[in-house]
Amino acid sequence: MKRLILGLLLLAPSVLLAQINKRIFRIPEVTILGKRPMKEIGVQKTQMDSITLKENIALSMADVLTFNSSIFVKNYGRATLSTVAFRGTSPSHTQVTWNGMRINNPMLGMTDFSMIPSYFIDDASLLHGTSSVNETGGGLGGSVKLSTQPANAEGFGLQYVQGIGSFRTFDEFLRLTYGDDHWQSSTRLVYSSSPNEFSYRNHDKKENIYDEDMNIVGQYYPEEKNRSGSFKDMHVLQEVYYNTRRGDRFGLNAWYINSNRELPMLTTDYGEESAFENRQREEIFRGILSWDHMRENWKVAAKGGYIHTQMKYDYKRDAGTGTMVPMTRSRSKINTFYGQAEGEYYIGREWLFTANVAAHQHFVESRDKNIIRQDGNQAVVGYKKGRTELSGAASAKWQPNDRMGLSVVLREELYGESWTPVIPAFFVDGILSKKGNIMAKASVSRNFRFPTLNDLYFLPGGNPDLKRESGWTYDVGLSFAVGKEDVYSLSGSVNWFDSHVQDWILWLPTTKGFFSPRNVKDVHAYGTEWKGDLSLALAKDWNLTLNGTLSWTPSINEGEPMSPADQSVGKQLPYVPEWSSSVTGRLSWKRWSFLYKWCYYSERFTMSSNDISLTGKLPSYYMSNITLERGVSLKWAELSLKGAVNNLFNEEYLSVLSRPMPRINFEFFIGITPKF
Amino acid sequence: MILVAASFGMLLSGCMEWDYGEYEDFNITSPGLFITNEGNFQYGNATLSFYNPATKEIENEVFYRANAMKLGDVAQSMVIRDGIGWVVVNNSHVVFAIDINTFKEVGRITNFTSPRYIHFISDEKAYVTQIWDNRIFIVNPKKYQITGYIECPNMTMESGSTEQMVQYGKYVYVNCWSYQNRILKIDTETDQVVDELEVGIQPTSLVMDCNNKLWTVTDGGYEGSPYGHEAPSLYRIDAETFTIEKRFKFEFGDWPSEVQLNGTKDKIYWLNDDVWEMDVTADRAPVEPFLPYNGTLYYGLTICPRTGDVYVADAIDYVQQGMIYRYSKDKELIDEFYVGIIPGAFCWK
Repeated sequence: MKRLILGLLLLAPSVLLAQINKRIFRIPEVTILGKRPMKEIGVQKTQMDSITLKENIALSMADVLTFNSSIFVKNYGRATLSTVAFRGTSPSHTQVTWNGMRINNPMLGMTDFSMIPSYFIDDASLLHGTSSVNETGGGLGGSVKLSTQPANAEGFGLQYVQGIGSFRTFDEFLRLTYGDDHWQSSTRLVYSSSPNEFSYRNHDKKENIYDEDMNIVGQYYPEEKNRSGSFKDMHVLQEVYYNTRRGDRFGLNAWYINSNRELPMLTTDYGEESAFENRQREEIFRGILSWDHMRENWKVAAKGGYIHTQMKYDYKRDAGTGTMVPMTRSRSKINTFYGQAEGEYYIGREWLFTANVAAHQHFVESRDKNIIRQDGNQAVVGYKKGRTELSGAASAKWQPNDRMGLSVVLREELYGESWTPVIPAFFVDGILSKKGNIMAKASVSRNFRFPTLNDLYFLPGGNPDLKRESGWTYDVGLSFAVGKEDVYSLSGSVNWFDSHVQDWILWLPTTKGFFSPRNVKDVHAYGTEWKGDLSLALAKDWNLTLNGTLSWTPSINEGEPMSPADQSVGKQLPYVPEWSSSVTGRLSWKRWSFLYKWCYYSERFTMSSNDISLTGKLPSYYMSNITLERGVSLKWAELSLKGAVNNLFNEEYLSVLSRPMPRINFEFFIGITPKF
Repeated sequence: MILVAASFGMLLSGCMEWDYGEYEDFNITSPGLFITNEGNFQYGNATLSFYNPATKEIENEVFYRANAMKLGDVAQSMVIRDGIGWVVVNNSHVVFAIDINTFKEVGRITNFTSPRYIHFISDEKAYVTQIWDNRIFIVNPKKYQITGYIECPNMTMESGSTEQMVQYGKYVYVNCWSYQNRILKIDTETDQVVDELEVGIQPTSLVMDCNNKLWTVTDGGYEGSPYGHEAPSLYRIDAETFTIEKRFKFEFGDWPSEVQLNGTKDKIYWLNDDVWEMDVTADRAPVEPFLPYNGTLYYGLTICPRTGDVYVADAIDYVQQGMIYRYSKDKELIDEFYVGIIPGAFCWK
């Protein structure tokens, strides 16, 4: 009997898509298998396929998540900070791991997805809500799991891609690989740069036309360039793997980022671009050493890692002398040491036990502002702190028969000197019908998120008395998969989630003129997530794949009113769309491939009271991108020629108030893979 | 296939809907109160509201409605001179001049560093204070031009902070707030700082009473500040001699702010959880508040110069429309109305 793991069946389009480079399309037969991956019992997961991640070298993970998941990506501009709202939560409620190591900024709690080139990621998956407890704590919305993998090279390999795009955007990608029976080495380099001066009609302000007496005689909305938005980002990723072929694998992953970005001026800024400099520079090194020891029914693994982050923020102005003088000169350094050990043990085919413990030790030095003290000496406003974060989990997974699986996870975390109570998570899944491969899943978990180091210690405003946030999340879902080998495959899933978060931390202004975080809100986030994947062989050499997501995510403030006038209770959180959707369609014929990407976000409120004001409006928007690709096989190399059109319908849109976004723009890529 | 084609058709339809360019004509000649709503820093959603105390009508977003454009990012303050309202928009680096009846823009001065307050010396000269700049900008309001700068001593650009201004004779006094502890005295004829007076840490506001006494209140800094942290104080300063006459000390940890005067300038008011009132000649601070704390942190305060009504602003959670409470001088609640996000400053018309 042909067997196909049901979990993989849901990924059938990705299996298909992963093969696109070789232009071999095969739609696998849909059958049921007795054993599903035990690690994924009851897990709600969205897998990003490799063709999505490797679509073009100019994409960041923010772009990939926008068009391929139900997550709302809050985008502050092109090549600017991009954070996510997973299931209606805040950016720091999404935990992000890279090869197992958590990479959320310990000062800020969040991750900037615009700083992660998707070409550097070989495997990406979203673990929704409770499912993140399997990997890490603190993911009240969920987690994003990013990994790299051995290139499976045989001998030397080289790939070079160059991209040229609108607004004088240049992207370069180089990958060198080497592999034999034991060794795999990969070096990847990405360099992206652009002055990023895209044009847009600024409807937030007007230019005045004056007469000689300085009376306004006319006004118009100016056609402006995106000001102060240039960027130069370089990423280098070195990987070396050694496989003994006797069950041991050693790995080294080292990722260096050097980013130099201006922070774009707001649409409401009347300052002269040349009079100000607003720039953020970041250098990040992430390194991991890993060892996996695998046997027939057990596995142990260990990892050690290190992250160095250096952030430099400068806000300068020309004081009239032609010299830029700092108004704000902020420097921060973070050193994180990471260690992790894990083990898995199978008893027969019915039981799996796992245990893991991870430690992150952060050392943070934040130097935010230089001042002159009362005694005339210079001083720096900032803080220097360290924190140990331990997270340990044990799980038991039981699959007594073909139809059913049960899993229990117990996790506990230590942040500084504060332990969480035991975090329990329960998962169950079962096949309801073999016809149609209908499977039901359910899970429940508790979870906690500790305040970030800035929440606790930032000067001014840090609040060391903050409580950790806590929450319960419930998930239930159904999935199905049908198909006929080499004809079509269709799979889909729908799930309901319900999540309560207490003591939600918000930074609020104080009467002293600075912000300070407080535990202020209780939030009830709930809703449904729909996914569907279709692969269709239309005719000989013609293939179509469609992947779609749809989310409805009310995220409601259910806290106590902050004052008698508070109108926010019972309302949707600001900047969280209630509806979001994405569709990706790919039509392939021989070596041609046409890709259509579409996403939709419903109106986002900018006020907690959900008032629709003239000045605080973020209407819903649709975004469409297309790509046409042609593969060319030469004697000496494989060539790939690709043209992309972003914002196809030339939409004027905003993701965040006063942050301009580019209208229609174009990119062209040429990829060369020599045949050695 | 039909389904697929239909689905694609749906995807291609629709687009973001904007309603730009719609003007509204106002002509409100009655006296009233402007409220500058800061909006959220970096979101450009500052607004201007206008309240008619006689009819109790509130008009919100009047700048946007009259001009079909945004006011900008962080509306800090507003003053009126000769029928023109001057709205200082801090992080938009601009000061707008508007007709106070139609709310239409009549001009603007741009390219400030981070403007906070404007004070008129004459029709053709005004000072604009800044944060993150060690200079006070001199402007010509008639020509909407920056004409010069006043260098402030012992400040770098990074630690620069000048705030509210009051004038006594030819001298303008300005409190220096962020990581500062001084009141500066500026000669308006020479545009130079001629004297300075040390007070406590971070004086937040400055007014001058009927007896030509300056009043300022310090916030005392904050815990962990390298500049220091102390109990805040309210200071009475003689403008003539530029010396401290009286210091009223608060409890350590108090957060007083927003010193204001009534119309006759013989009573001062301030916020410190509650709303407080005191005669300008008092020797002791009151023990009972004028209006007790009602479960929220007040953010702004003003007194009607005509009636003595007290207006306090509640910014609530700072991401929704704030509420203004209007009390009579007998402490009766007369009215309450929603304005914009973070109502921080007032200007009487």
